[in-house]
Amino acid sequence: METPSDLPKFAVLQLSGCSGCEVSLLNSDEWISNFNLVYMPLVVSTHKLPEDIEVLLVSGGVRTDEDLHNLHKGASRSKKLIAVGTCALSGGIAQIPEGHISRESYLDSSHRLRLPSMLPRAYPIDKFVHVDLYLPGCPPTPELFITALKEAENARIASIVCQECGRKKLTNMRPTSISGPRSGTPDPEICLINQGYLCLGTSTRGGCGALCTRPGHACVGCRGPANPYLNKDPEFVLDNLRRVFTRMTDIPIEEINAALASPWLSLFLGQFTDYTQDQSLPQRTKEKMI
Amino acid sequence: MTTITYPLSRIEGHARVVIDIHDDEVFRADFQAMEMRGFSYYVQGIPAEQITVIVPRICGVCSTAHQVASVKALEDLFGITPPPLACEIREVLLLGQLIQNQATSLFIFTMPDRVNASSLFEIAETPEAKARQFSLAQMSLKIRKIGTDLISLAGGQFIHPIKTVIGGVTSSIPREKADAMIKTIEELLPMAVDLVDNYWQMSTEMVDRIGTWGDDEPTYYLASTEADSFRLNSKRLRVMCNEGRECHTFAPQEYENYLTIEESDYSYAGTSSFQGHIMRANSLARINLTNSFGTPKADAYLKRFGEAYGKPAHAILFFDLCRGIELVYALEKAKQMLETDLQHGEAMVRYAPRDGIGFGLVEAPRGPLIHRYEVENGLIKKADFIIPTVHNMLAIRRALMVAAKRYVSPEGISNELSRAVGRVVRAFDPCIACATK
Ligand code: SF4
Ligand code: SF4
Repeated sequence: METPSDLPKFAVLQLSGCSGCEVSLLNSDEWISNFNLVYMPLVVSTHKLPEDIEVLLVSGGVRTDEDLHNLHKGASRSKKLIAVGTCALSGGIAQIPEGHISRESYLDSSHRLRLPSMLPRAYPIDKFVHVDLYLPGCPPTPELFITALKEAENARIASIVCQECGRKKLTNMRPTSISGPRSGTPDPEICLINQGYLCLGTSTRGGCGALCTRPGHACVGCRGPANPYLNKDPEFVLDNLRRVFTRMTDIPIEEINAALASPWLSLFLGQFTDYTQDQSLPQRTKEKMI
Repeated sequence: MTTITYPLSRIEGHARVVIDIHDDEVFRADFQAMEMRGFSYYVQGIPAEQITVIVPRICGVCSTAHQVASVKALEDLFGITPPPLACEIREVLLLGQLIQNQATSLFIFTMPDRVNASSLFEIAETPEAKARQFSLAQMSLKIRKIGTDLISLAGGQFIHPIKTVIGGVTSSIPREKADAMIKTIEELLPMAVDLVDNYWQMSTEMVDRIGTWGDDEPTYYLASTEADSFRLNSKRLRVMCNEGRECHTFAPQEYENYLTIEESDYSYAGTSSFQGHIMRANSLARINLTNSFGTPKADAYLKRFGEAYGKPAHAILFFDLCRGIELVYALEKAKQMLETDLQHGEAMVRYAPRDGIGFGLVEAPRGPLIHRYEVENGLIKKADFIIPTVHNMLAIRRALMVAAKRYVSPEGISNELSRAVGRVVRAFDPCIACATK
C-alpha cells in the first residue's frame, strides 16, 4: 500500500487573503489520498517550506514584503505552481488601488515597527513568479479545486455562467430599471436580467455551477472573464455587458453605465480587467485557466 | 534581554507571538497581527447597498457573520424589519457557521495539541480508533461538512453567503431539502458526540500531563446570546463582571459607552476592553452567560461542565471544551429548526434606501460582532467593524504572560513554552483577517 511519503508532495502557501480558499479546499477530502500534504500553516504546524514540492497552491495577493519573500521561496521550491482564488490572480479586493479616496490614509497607517510593511498595493502573484495554472473564483468551489489538482488537462469547464444556470431568458419581459434586489423574491425559472438584476453571468467564466444565480442572486463575476475576454481591455468587457443589457432590457443607458461603473462590479470585473493595464504582467492563455 | 519570536500555525491568518525576557524574567508577551487588510478603508465611498457583498470577503472563516451583521446594519439604517421567516433562516445560517467553525477549531486546530501531533492528518490512532469505520480525520471533516452544507442551504453559497439580503432572504428552505439535512444530522449526531467526548478525554489527559488549564484569573465576559435562548441572530450585548454576575446589558448602538477600542503600536490589530477591564468573548464567555440551551444533549454537557469546573469557569483551555458543547448544541438546534416550516410565508420585504447611521449585531463564533455604517448620499461615508477577536486581545496577552512565566526560569526556557504558546493562542481561536482594520 502507498504510504503518504510515496505520494507527491503538496503544499499550500497563503499570502494576504481571507482563508476562504483554504476553507473551500478543506470542504473536500478527495485530495487527501492523492497527495502528501507537507505544508499548509492553517492545518499543519510546520513553519518551513520544504524543498522539492510537486504541487504548490498559492492563495492571496502579494500585500506585504513578507508575502513577496515567501512567494519567491515557494516558487523556487516547487515543480508546479497553481494560483488559486481571485486574490492571487488580481491582488485581492482590498488592494485599495490608485485613485481610491482612502488610499493615502490606509498607506499612512500601515506601518508598525518590526512588522512586515504593506506594499503600495496588493499585486497578483504572476507579476513576480511563473504560474502554471490559474484557478479563479472567490473562492473556487471544492469541485474546481479537485479538477485543478487531478484532471487539469482534460477539464471541461462551462464557457459562461448562464450555461449552468438553467434560468430561461425571455424576450417579452423587459425591465425598465435595475431594481431587482429591492422588489421581493425573484421568480426561480426566469433569467435574473429579465427581472431587473445586474447579473454578470453572460460574460463570466463558468465552472461554479451557477452557485449564486440558481438561488436568485445576481452573479458578481467572481470567476472572472470568460475565455473571449481574457487579457482584453476593460472597455471590451463592459461593451459586451452593455450590449446584453440593451438587447434584453429597456433600462436607460445612463443607468446601465452607472451600474457598470459601480464599485460592486469593480469588486471582480474591475479586478480582473485592472490586470490588463499592467504591461509587466504575462498574458494568461485559456489553456492555463481552469 | 532575549526576545523570542514564535511563528503561529493552525489559526486563521498571519500572526506571531513575541516574548521579551530580562534577567531570566518574562517582561512582556505580545500577540501580533502581521498584515493589515484595510476593509474599513476600502469600503469608503461604496454604494451602501453593495457593501453586503463585499464584507464577507473580510474573512473566509466567518464570512457568514459579517454578511448577516452587514445586512442588519443596513436594515437598521433604512428602518426595515425583515419578516420572521427570514430571521429564522438567518439563524439556521449562523448555526451552520458555528458548526463549521467549532469543528474546525476543535479538530483541525487544537486536537493535534492534545497528542503533540503537527496536524489532524497525522494524529496517531489508537487500536480502537483504527477498528472504527472512519478515521478521526474523516469523522472530523464529516461533522465539519454539516456546517458547510447548512451554510449552503440557508446561505445559498458555501463560503461567502448571498441569500441574506436587505429586507430578508432571497428564497426559503424547501421541505425536501430540510428533510435531507435532518436525516444527515440524525445520522451524524452520535458521531459528533463521540468526537466531543473523545476530545474532552484527550484534553483532561493533556492537562494531567502539563499540569494546568492555563490562565484562570477572573475577567469580564462579553456575549450577545441570552441566558435561556442561545440566539446567534442577536439583539443586545451582555456583560459578566469579575465577580461572576451579569452586570450590564446594552444595545449595539451604545457600544462606545461601554467598550474602549484602541489601536496598538506592536500589531496591526487593536485592542478593546470593558471600560479598561480585560474581557473575554467567544465560547467560554457564552457558556458562562448561559443557563440553558433548550436542547437535551447540550444541556447535559452544560451541567457536566458546571459540575466539573464551576460557574463561571475561568481557565483558558475551557474555551476548547465549551466549543465542543456548542457544536453539539448547534447540531441539535439546527435539526429542531429544520423540523419547523421554513418554506412558506413572506421571506423578503420591499424597501427604500435612505441616509443615516445603522448598527448590525450578530453573535459570531468568536463573540459579538458589530458593523456600524454611516451613509451619506447613498454612499458609505464611514464603516466600523467591531471585531470579536479584538475583544480578546488583552486576554490573549495576559494568558501568554501566565504561560511564559511558567516556563521561563533562571534554569532556562523550557521547550514546553513553544507548545504552550500555540495552546494559549488557539484556545481563543483568534481570526487575524478580521482583527485588522
Ligand atoms: S440569471 Fe444570470 S447567469 Fe442565469 S441565465 Fe440570466 S444572465 Fe445568465
Ligand atoms: S455565480 Fe458568479 S459570483 Fe457566483 S460563484 Fe459563480 S462566478 Fe462567482
